[in-house]
Amino acid sequence: MTRRDVVVTGIGCLGPWGIGLPALAAALQRGEPLATPIDRSAGYHRRNAATLVAACGPLDLTPWLSPQAARRMSDMSQYAVAAARMALADAGLDDVRGERSAVALATAFGPGGFTEQLARQILEKGGRAASPFLFTDCVANAAAGQVAIDLGARGPNTTICQREAGPLLALAQGADDVARGRADVCLAGSVDEMRPLSHAILDRFRALARPGRDGELPRPFDRRRRGMLAGEGATILVLEAETTARARGARVLARVGATVRAFDPSAGRAGFGRDAEGLAAALQARLAPALAEVTAIVSTASGARHGDALEAAVLRRTFAALPPVLVPKAVHGEYGGGTLATALLALAGGEFARPAACGQPDPELGITPAHGRVQAARVLCTALAAGGAAAWTVLEVP
Amino acid sequence: MSRSPVVVTGLGAVCGLGVGVDAAWQAALAGRHAIRPLELFATTGHRTTLAAAVPGDAALVAGRGLSRAERFACTAAAEAVRSLPAASLRSARAGVFFGSSTGALFEAERFLAELLQHREGDLAPLAAQQNDGPGAAVARHLGVRGPVATWSTACTSANLALGAALDALQQGEVDVAIAGGADELCETTYAGFNSLRAVDAQPTRPFRRSRAGLSLGEGAGVLLLETRAHAVRRGATVLCELVGAGRSCDAHHVSAPDPDGAGAAQAMRAALHEAGLAPDAVTFVNAHGTGTPHNDGAEARAMHAVFGARARSLPVTSSKSLVGHLLGAAGGIEAVFTALSIVHRLLPPVAGDEPADPELGLDVVLGAPRALPAHNVGLSTNLAFGGNNAVVLLRSQRP
Repeated sequence: MTRRDVVVTGIGCLGPWGIGLPALAAALQRGEPLATPIDRSAGYHRRNAATLVAACGPLDLTPWLSPQAARRMSDMSQYAVAAARMALADAGLDDVRGERSAVALATAFGPGGFTEQLARQILEKGGRAASPFLFTDCVANAAAGQVAIDLGARGPNTTICQREAGPLLALAQGADDVARGRADVCLAGSVDEMRPLSHAILDRFRALARPGRDGELPRPFDRRRRGMLAGEGATILVLEAETTARARGARVLARVGATVRAFDPSAGRAGFGRDAEGLAAALQARLAPALAEVTAIVSTASGARHGDALEAAVLRRTFAALPPVLVPKAVHGEYGGGTLATALLALAGGEFARPAACGQPDPELGITPAHGRVQAARVLCTALAAGGAAAWTVLEVP
Repeated sequence: MSRSPVVVTGLGAVCGLGVGVDAAWQAALAGRHAIRPLELFATTGHRTTLAAAVPGDAALVAGRGLSRAERFACTAAAEAVRSLPAASLRSARAGVFFGSSTGALFEAERFLAELLQHREGDLAPLAAQQNDGPGAAVARHLGVRGPVATWSTACTSANLALGAALDALQQGEVDVAIAGGADELCETTYAGFNSLRAVDAQPTRPFRRSRAGLSLGEGAGVLLLETRAHAVRRGATVLCELVGAGRSCDAHHVSAPDPDGAGAAQAMRAALHEAGLAPDAVTFVNAHGTGTPHNDGAEARAMHAVFGARARSLPVTSSKSLVGHLLGAAGGIEAVFTALSIVHRLLPPVAGDEPADPELGLDVVLGAPRALPAHNVGLSTNLAFGGNNAVVLLRSQRP
């Protein structure tokens, strides 16, 4: 079987930074966390709980999605459809109808808002009150299905749920479908919505930064880190076979390299493990030649106390001299796939501010987040997930 | 790049028919279903009061805070891998490829119910509230260190996971894969399918003229997959081969299948193409067969499109008539039944007494198990919300 090289020819993204890659680039140049108060009116939060979220806020999605269509979708499905349309326009593709077009998305939580509404209908009013409309769009793959319906994409349609590792796993699935010839184009990426209930549950697991002496901010690799900033959004890439993309004269943003997948069974059900040695060995065993040429890292670090420590330990074991390490989750928070978009910015020579909340690097971790202009030829994207899963993907200048 | 043949060397099952493959298989051959009045939560006011719940939990893997779905998953996985040396599991060359549609939603509902009363519920099972819970629990339970991922595409989830495991084995990423799915009954899906009027007040009647909907179920179905070389090296007993998987999307409607069955047919053809097999090679079908009028009609049209006139004589069964619809685990339990059909050369009947709907034009196995030929290729299909279609192909071991 001949595998085809796979390239990225378009991107659509939206999130707490607004709409589009330039808006994200501007946010990363500022370096300030995109945090706003979480809605606590439902009473889900404890008194000392986290108060901030990296929310999308009101976004005008009408260039990609009619208000009538939007009314039939969860927030998450709307984000995905808009980002997919945006990505196709960016790639210069206007019609991907047919069996050769695939979709591969990740989501950590699925449409939490619809699920919560539906569960409350049932719990408060009885099962007969359940809304069929909410039910049909509350499955995790609703967003990928809505993208397929909107675009007429009848090829393989995949949704992966693996918490923080999902975006890279979905990218790998999409790239593999194109490389194997199962599809000619794939819309691959990640989408999530962050609702107050999910936020309150994450807080109960102490996953989120909380108000305290040092303030409630996401501080990747910082000695004051106490947890992440929960976020939301969508990042979707257009993947094509390189030969196809070149033949149609497409602008090629990146080539998708190998993905390594691994698991750390020492992880708890809601936390990170300790087996940096095992994870580093897995990474090196599969990517050793490519690692030598990595010129920037887009890190999974989010400000999680143990997660960042594990990430640092894996990277230190893997690289004798660390290339610049970018920590975009200090700005856009966790979830929504912003790290994929950041990787493309690094390949394009993006400018990154020192994250405002990361001024005191933890000496025990030994990683200082990079800032300034980063012109990378080969980026390693990392993803360590609570619960034990891990993934790493290489993106490179074509 | 040559692709390694992939073999099935272990099976595990937890479903309404019981815990363990033997319990499920003996009941299936007898055409005995597990669809009974549901006691897990109140069903008052719904169109149905039935479901195929897992009977008791004494035989399930236990652990602090494990959700029901995690317990189903770990129990089925432990059964599937019992012939495998621990060293082969606790390796970066072993992976878990799992499907789940609801994760620990039953426990999440209990937590939310408490929260709405301003009380704190049991937080521990919520650690697995996300859909990756069962698969990750299996990986931790077995000490796996290779790739671990969860596919969540509603009712096709486990078939996508099986296909991904096949890819990983064929590409040499792993030598061993634990693949399947797990889901648990919960009020959200129960009320949701009732609200869609997609449930039958009686035990589901797939492919019958009077079919009126599905019956929900719960449980897990897990296959131990290995490269043939790995299996031979350790002297494993090979049950059958996993030879192909195919996926597609209807791009038609969020919850209703394309009535033409075009997407389902596309997935069947994709699986056959990947397996290098012609439609004529298929000797039986374990259909999605939910028992809803629309699904069974669309699926029948897909079979006619792929198999032509032969669709009228190709034996078709539906495991959902026995164990209900396991949603994200459906592909897992149905692949287990498909593998058992190949091993024993018997295709269990669709439960119930009524004759098949003649308008579907299918050879539905009824009344008693159907004897199968010496060499078999079984096709197991699933269709899902989001227009998702996924098919896997299992084959008798080649000499």
